[in-house]
Amino acid sequence: MTAAAADGCGAPAGGAPVTAATDPGTQAVVQGRVTQNGSPVPVGYARLLDSGGEFVAEVPLGADGGFRFFAAPGSWTLRVLAPGGIRAEHQVSADTGKVTELVVAV
Amino acid sequence: MSRSDVLVGADWVEAHGSDPGVVLVEVDEDTSAYDKGHIRNAVKIDWKTDLQDPVRRDFVDRVGFEALLSARGIGNDDTVVLYGGNNNWFAAYAYWYFKLYGHQNVKLLDGGRKKWELESRELVTDVPKRAATSYSASEQDASIRAFRDEVVSAIGQRNLVDVRSPDEFAGRLLAPAHLPQEQAQRGGHIPTAKNVPWSKAAEEDGSFKTDDALRALYGDEAGVDFGKDTIAYCRIGERSAHTWFVLHELLGQPNVKNYDGSWTEYGSLVGVPIAVGDAS
Repeated sequence: MTAAAADGCGAPAGGAPVTAATDPGTQAVVQGRVTQNGSPVPVGYARLLDSGGEFVAEVPLGADGGFRFFAAPGSWTLRVLAPGGIRAEHQVSADTGKVTELVVAV
Repeated sequence: MSRSDVLVGADWVEAHGSDPGVVLVEVDEDTSAYDKGHIRNAVKIDWKTDLQDPVRRDFVDRVGFEALLSARGIGNDDTVVLYGGNNNWFAAYAYWYFKLYGHQNVKLLDGGRKKWELESRELVTDVPKRAATSYSASEQDASIRAFRDEVVSAIGQRNLVDVRSPDEFAGRLLAPAHLPQEQAQRGGHIPTAKNVPWSKAAEEDGSFKTDDALRALYGDEAGVDFGKDTIAYCRIGERSAHTWFVLHELLGQPNVKNYDGSWTEYGSLVGVPIAVGDAS
């Protein structure tokens, strides 16, 4: 848990993924990377929608195309927006104490 | 007050962003975003280190705000155009903050950084040099800021608009889903509050919905009584500044306050009523 993320509303820079050294503990983490033809998509946004399709949170992609959310356990939709009208969606489920990893190819 | 008084579009910023008397200011949730690239001639304000008191839980005082704007080269008569990521979340917070200290001419870039980026518009890393000014701020405008006692007495009397996500409103989460859930206070919402997540006011590209769509969202769908005064809150008062902007600046509601103490204060108060569960 970074200090920046822990003490306010500031998102981790670029929605940077949890590293192997980060214990998800009681969090239900959904994280991953967005790629195009195998390369990271560094400019774009990842949005988390709940099971009713309602927007819950959004982060800008990191330089490595990475994103991270601390969700509640359950089913979510991850939507990616990027320049050039790029859109992609993935269904994902989150569990407490787990890091759910996604690679989103656009 | 109308939309054209408080919003500008990207084409306007491209045409006028470098005009004398216009200052572009990026205020982002991700405070490193500016350093990776920003709109030409934009200066940066850090919502936390620049706008928050480093010791007490409060804003920088009037003298501190004057020093900040003077150092950024912003004059009292300048047109300040704010923009940022995440549907202008923190830019709207800064907008409210500029209004709190009496800056007259302040606007938001509709869609903020996201729409600008999705349209592949120019971002630069050059940091502009602006000559320092002698900015003079007003005392805080108490008509747009609510404190806890006023909020408690507003239960059942005024509109309370909880702009957090449904899971936070119900008490299942204590923070937005992209932030760690380590807060210790109680979960739930202020009794009688309507839940209108702040993000519903924005299109997917971050621009604001039309006035008609916004009126329907708050009025017909959520049951906000436009004939009553309103207090908006969230977790720490920033998402609710976005809703304050919608209700007060776009829809022209006369008496709207932002409760910046918000859930981190209310949910830690001893003895106040709390409701849990989903909106009915």
